Amino acid sequence: MDYSNPELPEGINTGKENPLKEFAILTSGVVGSIFLVITLLIFVVDNFADKIPFEVEQRLPVSGLIEEQNIEPLPHYLEALSQKVIDSLGLPEPMQITVHYLNSDTVNAFATLGGHIVLYRGLLEKLTYEDELAMIIAHEVSHIKHRHPIMNASHGIVVGLVLSLVGASSGNDVVSKLLGTTGMVTMMKYSRDNEQQADRDAVNSLIKIYGNAEGALALFKVLDSEHGDRGTVEFFNTHPLNKNRSAEAQTLINEIGTEQSMGRAHIPAAFRKWLQKQKQNAREQPQDQ
Amino acid sequence: MADLIIFITLLAMGYGFGRYAESRHYASIREREKDLNSIPAIASRIPPQGNPNFDSQLVSGSVVISVDYFKRFIAGLRNLVGGRMSSYETLLDRARREAILRMKTEARNLSAEYVFNLKLETASIHKGKGNSIGSVEVVAYGTALIPNR
Repeated sequence: MDYSNPELPEGINTGKENPLKEFAILTSGVVGSIFLVITLLIFVVDNFADKIPFEVEQRLPVSGLIEEQNIEPLPHYLEALSQKVIDSLGLPEPMQITVHYLNSDTVNAFATLGGHIVLYRGLLEKLTYEDELAMIIAHEVSHIKHRHPIMNASHGIVVGLVLSLVGASSGNDVVSKLLGTTGMVTMMKYSRDNEQQADRDAVNSLIKIYGNAEGALALFKVLDSEHGDRGTVEFFNTHPLNKNRSAEAQTLINEIGTEQSMGRAHIPAAFRKWLQKQKQNAREQPQDQ
Repeated sequence: MADLIIFITLLAMGYGFGRYAESRHYASIREREKDLNSIPAIASRIPPQGNPNFDSQLVSGSVVISVDYFKRFIAGLRNLVGGRMSSYETLLDRARREAILRMKTEARNLSAEYVFNLKLETASIHKGKGNSIGSVEVVAYGTALIPNR
């Protein structure tokens, strides 16, 4: 028996393929299928969330949480304007909107479960004209009208659960992070669609009330000076970029056609003074939180 | 967004440094394998019969090689879908060959002619967060047959 000890050829135990190819195939495959699964989940869950009666939503203890921080009663001006906007949007029968005012520097407003809308002093202070304020209220009310809060909450829970299950069983925290990010980006796309829908409704509402939608364009300018688009990528945001929202509103305005603006109404001096006083109050008695 | 930049940086670093280290390692492995080819390492338990003039001695070599970020990421995705874990194949291939080379170097220092009864053992020595295997140890050991003059 002869024994030889030749040099073994390479490439038997290891592949010659560039690992970047495998990386591209695996990443796009996994990200793509997670995207599909989440889109399907959101679609299914939202179909169910839509059927949850508004009365059930109202029984959730959301208003209590808001009321805890909201000591001030709503000023008459805000209430009257809100009513006007709500009427213009024509809500279905059992829906009720509760507008809250929060004495805080945060420049924001949001709509949440149970028909509650929260306006922050920080945002109200930035406004000059009444139609800008009406645009904000109309935008938030139409979120409620389309049941966005309950849908967001529902699919947020389901998608979160599924992602954490899949992520945990992958046994690799980088992979589970990738899955989480894919899920988030998918839900952000969905959220941007909701914002667009709310913007469209709000522009329609403004045109109904004022005959034009100058307020929408002005509001996006205000928002842009507050949180500018620079350095942000729409893909990673819950809201479309301000310039895109503005362009979208402009397109809609051109479609519908508006009357010539007859001079826009300012926010009453009394209300602005009231906001000033609120600000001082907040400064003098800092909340111990 | 910042997360994504960090992630891509880590991936690129893992890929760049990992590829560089791997190709250098393979070059060195090939060169030393050629050099040490004169000492066969044989898996048989029974030493060659008919020539009793050999002293025997245990020789061993071990190596620990770490996986890079890029490979670990690919392996994580592979865990989900299954298939050939090619990013770990090169890792283990390098470790096995390196361990045998170190063992043979020791055998050469003893002026051995053969290494008999070659055994290989593998251990993952680091199970990091999420149970991702970070690095691998391979031990090669055998009996060096040293001709006595």
